[in-house]
Amino acid sequence: MNGMRQLWRVACYEWFDALRSRRALVVLLLYMAAAVCNMHWSINILHKLENELATMLQLPQSERTGVISTALWKSKPFQRMMREMAENDLVLQDITGKHPVELIYAWFAFFYTPLLVVLVAGNRIAEDIGSGAVRYVIFRTSRASWSLGKWVGQTLMIGVALLLSGVGAYAVAKCRLAGSGTPDLFLNMVQWSGRAWIYSIPYLGLAMGLSHLTRSASKATVTGIIAITVCFVLSVLVRHFSTDTGWGAVLPILGLLIPDGHKMYLWRNAVAPLVTGSVYLVTLGLCYLLAGYAVFRKRDV
Amino acid sequence: MSKMNTAIETQDLVKRYGARRALDGLTLSVPRFAVLGLIGPNGAGKTTWMMSVAGFLHLCSGRVNLLGGGPFDPAVHAGRISILPQDSDLPLEGRPLELLIHYGLLQGLTRQAAAQSAAEMLQEVHLGDRLNAPIRSLSHGMRKRVMIAQCFIGYPEVVLLDEPLSGLDPRELAHMRAFLTRRRGRQTLVISSHNLHDIEVLCDHIAFIEKGRTVRFATLDELVGKANTLIYQVSQEPADYAPLTAALPDASLTFEDSSSSLICRYDPRLTTAEEINRRLLPALLPQCGVTTVTRGASLETEYLKCLPQESP
Repeated sequence: MNGMRQLWRVACYEWFDALRSRRALVVLLLYMAAAVCNMHWSINILHKLENELATMLQLPQSERTGVISTALWKSKPFQRMMREMAENDLVLQDITGKHPVELIYAWFAFFYTPLLVVLVAGNRIAEDIGSGAVRYVIFRTSRASWSLGKWVGQTLMIGVALLLSGVGAYAVAKCRLAGSGTPDLFLNMVQWSGRAWIYSIPYLGLAMGLSHLTRSASKATVTGIIAITVCFVLSVLVRHFSTDTGWGAVLPILGLLIPDGHKMYLWRNAVAPLVTGSVYLVTLGLCYLLAGYAVFRKRDV
Repeated sequence: MSKMNTAIETQDLVKRYGARRALDGLTLSVPRFAVLGLIGPNGAGKTTWMMSVAGFLHLCSGRVNLLGGGPFDPAVHAGRISILPQDSDLPLEGRPLELLIHYGLLQGLTRQAAAQSAAEMLQEVHLGDRLNAPIRSLSHGMRKRVMIAQCFIGYPEVVLLDEPLSGLDPRELAHMRAFLTRRRGRQTLVISSHNLHDIEVLCDHIAFIEKGRTVRFATLDELVGKANTLIYQVSQEPADYAPLTAALPDASLTFEDSSSSLICRYDPRLTTAEEINRRLLPALLPQCGVTTVTRGASLETEYLKCLPQESP
């Protein structure tokens, strides 16, 4: 019980400290700006496409973006076409019912979250080990409380970043896209932020687990970037080279060990796959972190 | 020394870094409420010993017993021991007050006690006006004072201080010496320093560490002979020792050419320093001038005597 209390104290301080750390703040603001810009540019592209479509069909051009897209998105033939293009029917079934704005933001959040995680949190532990700041803490609490507390604190920090980026993207969509200002859409955007947050947890575990192995903050960041690249390459291999027999049969098992192997659960609407995916991803994050901690526990600081 | 009276007991500690032995069977016991000074050249193992006691380093072999509770374990020792580690920065974005409160909470204090202790300690180190300034904005000396303050949060039983006074300005140095002196007899302090004057002023026990081993451990009084030695700084060596030995039949007199001092060793059970002075000075003054009389040798003299002689 005392260990949990200590862990929470470290986490709260870490969160607080990360929020006011200039570097983390800059990355957080950049991420939010990127989410907003991504939404803005995506709407621009959508507007261009709609105008071209209207010209081709000799229809009057709409002043506001989204009117045609929303109608198109909801049309049965378009949804059927999308389903045929995608490999995962269940996911597609779920996402074709969503507003395009949600999908634009969700794609952005899922794609860039690993990078955000590495840039914000990838060096936090190595930095404290390298500067010696950890020495002021680990005679007051256990190394385990410190490591896990840092991880939880950074998880909260990433949560704030994703929530803000979701709200920013919603604000842009509300101003620029017809029929996008509904409270439902706002809640859905927050929900997508939450899903991206769950997806960030294993990457946090990976980056911070690796951060235990070095005293150099820059080395930790570089290692983190290499690790997410390896994860990305592995996920591509798993997606394209999985077979039922031979070496290709090993790839799906390997896929379970990387966050991407469980990502699609988070794109589903039903509660069961969402919960399953969340549990998998959090456990995976914890396993990555504990692997790094196992080395840190035995090392000199 | 009984176990009850021992704050830190370390036996045959060995710590290797590759082929080099930072600790080579170091054995050292620190009595409770002692102020122990660790003296030794760079790389002798003082810092390694402190870091091993605080649980920062994993020893290759040896035994540590801290406050009777075995080797360092945060579950047993959190809040009872603290350390000022060498070459360790505080978190740069932190503010002194909130950082110390955080540390206090981590070592088990209530929020109120932690806040009170943190504020008191920061006032004590003259940082009352910088409570909420970012650590990154503080000077080297101010940071050092925050580091010292964090050691004394919640009144721990054992405080390990590695070079606590380096980097302080003369005013703060004097203040910090007085502050540490006031802790004598209330907490067990271990101070590592290259400044022998500081050690002499602050400590009541001394350990000489050399090549990862304890070369000598004694009380300061024993070491410098405060209780049985008088040193007379004289203008020249006395020409005739006969009147001197006649005045002090129970004491021995030796002249040290290098420091031009006459060293008088006596048995404190038979006589006192005042009695020695009363009898020796009338015989000595006609032969040479006496500039100072001190009790015992300086720590520096004793330490230098202990060092292995370098070949020319």
